[in-house]
Amino acid sequence: MASTEIVHAHAAPQGFIRKYVFSLDHKVIGLQYYFLALIAVFVGMGLSLLMRIHLIWPTASLPIFGDIKPETYLMFVTMHGTIMVFFVLTTAPQGGFGNYFLPIQIGAPDMAFPTLNMLSFWTTFVAFVVLIAAFFVGAPLHGWTGYAPLSAVPSSGPGEGLGADLWITSIALFCAASLMGALNFITTTLDMRAKGMSMMRMPLTCWAWFITAILGLLAFGVLAAGGILLLMDRNLGTSFFVPGGLNFTGQTSFPPGGFSPSTDLVKHNGGSPLLWQHLFWFFGHPEVYIAIVPGMGVASQLLSTFSRKPIFGYRAMVYAMLAIGILGFVVWGHHMFMSGMSPYSAFAFSIMTMAIGVPSAIKTFNWIGTIYKGRVRFHTPMLFAIGFVSLFVSGGLSGPFLAQPVLDIPLHDTAYVPGHFHLIMGVAAIFGIFAATYYWFPKMFGHMMNETLGRWHFFITLVGTYSIFMPMHYLGMAGQPRRYSQLTEVAYLHPLIPLNRFMTYAAIVTIAGQFIFLFNLFWSMAKGRKAADNPWEATTLEWTTATPPPHDNFGGRTPVVNHGPYEYSVPGAPRDYVMQNDPATAPVH
Amino acid sequence: MHTVAATHDESKAQYFWVWGALLVLTGVEVFLAYEQFFQPVRMLEVLMVLSVIKAALIIAYFMHLMFEVPFMRFMLMAAIVACLCLMCIFFADAMRILSLGVK
Amino acid sequence: MADAAVHHDIAGVYEPSLFGTYSKKIGMWLFLASDSLTFGALLFAYSYGRVSNPSWPTPFGKESIINATIMTACLLSSSLTMVLGVLAAHRGDKIRTRNWLFATMFFGAAFVLLHGMEWSKLIHEGMTPFTNPWAPSVPQFGGTFFTLTGMHMLHVTIGVIYLGVVALRKKFLPVLLLLWLIGWLATPASNVFHLGVHVLLIGAVVAAMVLFLHPKDYDSHDVEVSGLYWHFVDLVWMFIFPLVYLMSTRV
Repeated sequence: MASTEIVHAHAAPQGFIRKYVFSLDHKVIGLQYYFLALIAVFVGMGLSLLMRIHLIWPTASLPIFGDIKPETYLMFVTMHGTIMVFFVLTTAPQGGFGNYFLPIQIGAPDMAFPTLNMLSFWTTFVAFVVLIAAFFVGAPLHGWTGYAPLSAVPSSGPGEGLGADLWITSIALFCAASLMGALNFITTTLDMRAKGMSMMRMPLTCWAWFITAILGLLAFGVLAAGGILLLMDRNLGTSFFVPGGLNFTGQTSFPPGGFSPSTDLVKHNGGSPLLWQHLFWFFGHPEVYIAIVPGMGVASQLLSTFSRKPIFGYRAMVYAMLAIGILGFVVWGHHMFMSGMSPYSAFAFSIMTMAIGVPSAIKTFNWIGTIYKGRVRFHTPMLFAIGFVSLFVSGGLSGPFLAQPVLDIPLHDTAYVPGHFHLIMGVAAIFGIFAATYYWFPKMFGHMMNETLGRWHFFITLVGTYSIFMPMHYLGMAGQPRRYSQLTEVAYLHPLIPLNRFMTYAAIVTIAGQFIFLFNLFWSMAKGRKAADNPWEATTLEWTTATPPPHDNFGGRTPVVNHGPYEYSVPGAPRDYVMQNDPATAPVH
Repeated sequence: MHTVAATHDESKAQYFWVWGALLVLTGVEVFLAYEQFFQPVRMLEVLMVLSVIKAALIIAYFMHLMFEVPFMRFMLMAAIVACLCLMCIFFADAMRILSLGVK
Repeated sequence: MADAAVHHDIAGVYEPSLFGTYSKKIGMWLFLASDSLTFGALLFAYSYGRVSNPSWPTPFGKESIINATIMTACLLSSSLTMVLGVLAAHRGDKIRTRNWLFATMFFGAAFVLLHGMEWSKLIHEGMTPFTNPWAPSVPQFGGTFFTLTGMHMLHVTIGVIYLGVVALRKKFLPVLLLLWLIGWLATPASNVFHLGVHVLLIGAVVAAMVLFLHPKDYDSHDVEVSGLYWHFVDLVWMFIFPLVYLMSTRV
């Protein structure tokens, strides 16, 4: 009974360390996550630029890295993927915005376990530092998926020694951090909703964070198991993932008399690389939804707000997200059609994967239905939300193709797949993050972001990313392989060089465009127009409190919720929107 | 104290019963295994059934899940059991290694 | 705080919890859900290796099986004492709670000790994570055995420390350090537990950080939550025991 203590019974912390560094306040932690992701995204983006430059000028000497050897290129691939997937797409939408706005939107003063929340961030931070440390000892080559046996045998290549150990340590730490975060999110959503905030009155953003947290909770535990086994394989000589007879000596010709088992071959046998792929993708596919589902929530919220219309089919949206979450757990095999997996299970995975098209289509049509005949206000966040839907559709359409083993097998190791997942998982999720940034910036920092710069940023990014990733589909169909560092000398790829060059120029322009965003972000923090408490005339609870919100979010009171989250253009209401905590006496219909 | 805990507070005896049942089931398992009572595959099935019964007893009584609200019972068990069952898909490939003769 | 949601004296402020109970318990259940998938994945990895390697050895004779059965009985009994401790805590009987927790820790420690001896014996017989004397072509046998039982042993050790912190708070720290010292001195330098016992030292450091940075009086809820963790450790063993030991009984 003693644990009825109120988290915020203590006063707001004083002193820099408790207030900004080891803060228990979910808002500060949210911002810490956000800025960590911001640093990470610029590192990851820099790497992608180096890769694109190398692809068209393979002999050029690059700053810092010098001449790019094939292993350097693969190192870029690995670090770009790992940083982007874990430290940007998982960290920013869920750790950043989820932490900041989930408690406020459900009317809670903080997360259920503030200390755990702080630990979660700092573990993520350490994981990031450990990952970056891998740069300095030679980063691994095995890609963000860490396929065995490349990842499981330290002698398999440069960077697969200490660098790969640091990589897998970083992933293990990230697992622990995500686990802490996920159970915190779920408990908060289950336990701490303000009076009247029933599950079906939660904003769709909260639903998205909640579902994402469930995915994280169930997925990261499996990755942790895979990580333990991989560490054992690497450091204790077990053979979970390593089959027998591997030769990593660099000898390319078969020596007379065969390889000597004692010196040439790795001392493993009987393991199965497929096992790692199963364990990894059991986590890996839900991870894709961990990245995109918060974006879906944000898009729903923004399309409704800026169209001044209730979201089209709120319940359908919730059920579609739940369905996507559940289906996300039964489709991991579609990443493994090429791996020699049993064709019977491949068939089942293929069917389930195409089934995801159904809830995805429900969501898309509901988004379009929401904008249809709305009084749309084209503020920057709305532009990015529309961009999200656009990218979600164009990235998603190639999904049903790749879901079929017969099509996936020729396309899998080509640029088609990077084109697909960059559009839907990468750029769409990033658009969700941008939309959320522009939308919630006034609440977080008390200033508006500059609209003109925002529009420039939007159009450059939208056109730029389409220019980079759409051609990848054509490159893939023309047979350009992925992960290969030097393609310019290959005769059958010569006709594709102009297209590759165009993509690199597009990447340079797009990345330059991101500095507009960076400037806008920091400039607006100090010099932006002062924001009102509810600048977008939105309905959810975060807009009812002060800007920026006080330490306990609502200044000592707890809101009482009387309305659903998207009551716009309500007939007979005094304004065109009804806030969630408006008195129930306000005419609803 | 919340009311849920109070409702089953008095029945200390049930825990002893559960404990006894778990010990007996363990004894049965050990006996079957030690006597090599079944062929390995049948043995695995029998042992897993017994283990699932034991796990269910522990979850239901020792971990009090019996006495939680139905929503919690259902959600937790459904999530864990579904995920674990899904992993059975792995075995298609383990079998395949056997039949394809890849070592 | 979130507990406020279920305690209806501050009720009206929050919606009732969907899981109808207090936050810490939900948090622990969710952690256990995730952890059960970790163990589940490890068990599936083990089964995968076993299915794909037909000449899997079955070396556990009478001695090992008896030992493992005693260990199982230890864990089951510790679960009984734990649940009785939770009952006592709900009744507000602090002395009895503490005693039941001690009994639980005793059984847990006995489990770790017996298991450690078993490990030492197997290592002495020539089993390592990558070889075993019974089936040289199946290196997975040692690997899976040590991974599964090692992870479980780690969980039991953490559980004992956790219960010790709940039962004794700061007074547990010297006990833990003493255990570490004894363990360190009692194992020969060649034994794996000479190194492994440092888990206790790490545990002591973490426990000290928790106890000094967030000092509090552990109430019946904390006992119940620690109990959930303990029963889960027991539950995992209910699968490891038949799969690892009983399915490898010597013919």
